[in-house]
Amino acid sequence: MREPNAIDFWRGFALVTIFINHIPGNFFERYTFSQYGISDAAELFVFLAGWSIGLATRGRDGLPEPRLTTVLRLLSRTIEVYRAQITIMALALAMIAGCALYLDNPLILEWHNAGGFFADPIQTMVGVVLLTHQLGFFNILPLYVVLIAIAPAVVLIGRVSRALLLALSLSLYGASLVFEWNFPSWPGEGDWFFNPLCWQLLLVLGFLSNEATRESERLQRLWRRLMPLGILIVAVGVVLAVLELRPDPMLAPEPRLVFTFDKTYLSPARLVHFCGMVLAFQGVFALIAPHVGRLARFLSGLGRNSLAVFSMGSLLSLAGQFVRFQTGGGIFVDISVVGSGLIALGFTAWFVEWRSRRPRPTRKAPDAASPADAPSSSPSA
Amino acid sequence: MPAAPSAASSPAPVEALDQSLSPECRVPGSKLYTLARLKAVKAALKEKRPIHVLSIGSSSAGLGASASYPVKLENALEQALPDVQVEVEARGLPGEVASGAGERLRSMVAEMEPDLVVWQVGTNDALARVDIEAFGEALDESVQWVKSHGIDIVLIDPVFTESLADDAYYTQMVRTVQEVARREAVPLVHRYAAMRFLSTQRTTEAHMLGRHFRLNDLGLRCMAEHATRAITLSLLQPESAKEGMKDGIKDPGKGDAVTADHATSDTSKTDPAQTGTPGPSPAPKQP
Repeated sequence: MREPNAIDFWRGFALVTIFINHIPGNFFERYTFSQYGISDAAELFVFLAGWSIGLATRGRDGLPEPRLTTVLRLLSRTIEVYRAQITIMALALAMIAGCALYLDNPLILEWHNAGGFFADPIQTMVGVVLLTHQLGFFNILPLYVVLIAIAPAVVLIGRVSRALLLALSLSLYGASLVFEWNFPSWPGEGDWFFNPLCWQLLLVLGFLSNEATRESERLQRLWRRLMPLGILIVAVGVVLAVLELRPDPMLAPEPRLVFTFDKTYLSPARLVHFCGMVLAFQGVFALIAPHVGRLARFLSGLGRNSLAVFSMGSLLSLAGQFVRFQTGGGIFVDISVVGSGLIALGFTAWFVEWRSRRPRPTRKAPDAASPADAPSSSPSA
Repeated sequence: MPAAPSAASSPAPVEALDQSLSPECRVPGSKLYTLARLKAVKAALKEKRPIHVLSIGSSSAGLGASASYPVKLENALEQALPDVQVEVEARGLPGEVASGAGERLRSMVAEMEPDLVVWQVGTNDALARVDIEAFGEALDESVQWVKSHGIDIVLIDPVFTESLADDAYYTQMVRTVQEVARREAVPLVHRYAAMRFLSTQRTTEAHMLGRHFRLNDLGLRCMAEHATRAITLSLLQPESAKEGMKDGIKDPGKGDAVTADHATSDTSKTDPAQTGTPGPSPAPKQP
């Protein structure tokens, strides 16, 4: 098992934030960092996924692994993430339907875009499998499937030329912003909630940051020197978020998405804010880890097993929504919902590691640090 | 409205059903809608250009099946407004109005620049039990924003279902939508009241999952008709007291509408004082 480290810690932090934010209206929602900035945990998660792709596609000696191994490793990870998405979608739809039946309340069928599935299952079933029908809050993994699927290209181009990779990624991002390219939804009209054509940039930035930082001392010093700039950006973000200041999309000049704070297209403002967050908080883990050992271990455990924890978190937050709905919410309900959810997430992480440690001791991945490490050291979603 | 004076007479115990609706969707006009002016749509009609409608909300995902609500809305609007091309774009709106959905609505509106937004509102907020006051404020802000850009908006309040009939929070939610519609003077489709009325009607139709689910299906089927009724009747609203019907829509139904209002107002026995609703007029003809 990996020791607690900054990447796993922050990924676990993002997972907890996403879990809480996916129970809308709950008491703790207003105390997550998403409420105090322009970007949120989704950015952190994708960036760290890119970072870990860089780690996972190198051997223990730090040298890049063979190209074919990288392609196959990422292909296998893509299948894993896709399988997770199909599984949680099936479970979520069943939870919604079951809850509507049990409470005899058809209103629940209209839960965040689920209505389409129940009204028109023939086409929507196809859409679920194609990832073009997404439920609200269940729209992050489809993005990851696409991002991990294109990750072999990211890694291989990056080995040839980092500048080329960045240029390609930026061009695709810029063109998608200007021409409003996105993946379509189907059978519903509209587009994907997380536009992979834009969000790929964060994955690439995460990958490149790791690659560049590992070699260059100078770059590491530069990052540290830019910390005040990061803090300034974060401060501006807090002010804008608290005062709810944001551009009116109808008044924004063309190309509109360059100027608005759009989550789907990862508008530049969100990107800049996120980069500011990275600069501002880059040293925080090293600073606090010695004092919050338990917390660091807990969050790192979640982060090491992010796909399983994210999947369970999605289902638990859906269950939490139903509990809040039926009981009417309130502080005590929120404490028990969020508290038991966090315990369940911790158990999930422990259980995944126990499973990979115990019953299959022979399946030792040759490149990973330890067997327990194998499923999580690959680029995680 | 010409209908007003006679229709304002004492409300009869039983209000006539709106005969222009499909038999299974018929409810009294006062349970169906609150009317208000729709300037942008009128302007589009006057310029004889297609009307762009953005339909958003839980059942608005815009499925391909012809039975789905957005397709039905488009068909019903085109039937009600002959010679007018109506293009309905439909989008689901994930998230709660009280936290972020208003922002997404703004992006969608900016992307499509419709003449009319038909917003089925409140379901997600009710399911999340968000603070009602925060919901009301956010909804009001969003409606104001849409109006401030010269775009019309029609609200549809949440569904009625018996398991929530006595839920104080939920009824308060429905009331909040009504209050916002009244404050902002935008048309409102009383989906809740219409479905509650339909739930009292005797029916032979059964549903595998029980009558609550039957009612829900019926509500979905009827929603397009109900929304269309509210929109077409709102279009007949005078632009101001002075101008009267001069600026009424130039569709063949117009003349009929005025006379039909006169003809039916005596028997319609609606109570416009209550909801600002004219009697059930067959105005723009529906087959």
